[in-house]
Amino acid sequence: MDGAAADTRCRCETLGVSAEAAALLLAFAMRESEAPAVELGHALERIDQGLRPETGAAAPELTRELAACVRALQFHDRLMQQLAVIRNLLTRLADNPLPQMAGCGAQRWEELLAQLRERLAAETHDELFELLVRTGGVGLPGTSGVAHAEGSSELF
Amino acid sequence: MARILAVDDSPSMRQLVKLALSSGGHEVDVATDGVEALSVAGKQQFDVVITDVNMPNMDGISLVRELRRRTAYRFVPLLMLTTESTAERKQQGKEAGATGWLVKPFDPDRLLSIVAKVLT
Repeated sequence: MDGAAADTRCRCETLGVSAEAAALLLAFAMRESEAPAVELGHALERIDQGLRPETGAAAPELTRELAACVRALQFHDRLMQQLAVIRNLLTRLADNPLPQMAGCGAQRWEELLAQLRERLAAETHDELFELLVRTGGVGLPGTSGVAHAEGSSELF
Repeated sequence: MARILAVDDSPSMRQLVKLALSSGGHEVDVATDGVEALSVAGKQQFDVVITDVNMPNMDGISLVRELRRRTAYRFVPLLMLTTESTAERKQQGKEAGATGWLVKPFDPDRLLSIVAKVLT
């Protein structure tokens, strides 16, 4: 094995280990943040019950505040979903046998990106992914409607 | 007041949906995925089912399809509550038998008004 090949192999192995470590750290952080979010939800539930007299409704302004909390806390769930996409990306990177590939070549990277894109569940994930890989995809035609879709509803 | 089954694999989302619907006077049970939801729905009758789409074991669209096969749920409103908003996925939900498609994040009042609408 010549020096350049050995260097490429070393870099690929380092990338694999880093990606695996990052995926583990991310999974740990996600697990750790779940309990506080759930506790916050419980606290909101208790506040809601406490604000309600046995037969009446809570004051409208407090109901509005609670609704704001419910809306805001949903972004934790969204963050978890987005982090899960990143975690999966890192896991996939770590699992790919980079040293056996032709020098971590650009062609292989494009193949990997294509595979990952296929796995993205939502447009928001797609946007995040494009942002992560710096392909300039955020704001491209076809993704601008995502913000408008948030909170929308449609009865069939 | 209606009896509602909320299905989501995220603990915090289950809580928030439950909180929003309970504040409207509804009785809410929860399930973590489609498999558990089918089991719960088989033991008691719900007036409305609200489900996420992407879940482990059984996704929301498969759940709707399975529920529609059951006589007891043939005409029960089944709502999808998800981050997904593509026309393709909505069409899949519609074909499976979903009553409506709501995109997260939801507004509690809006959710309550939609539930009221599908119950009439």
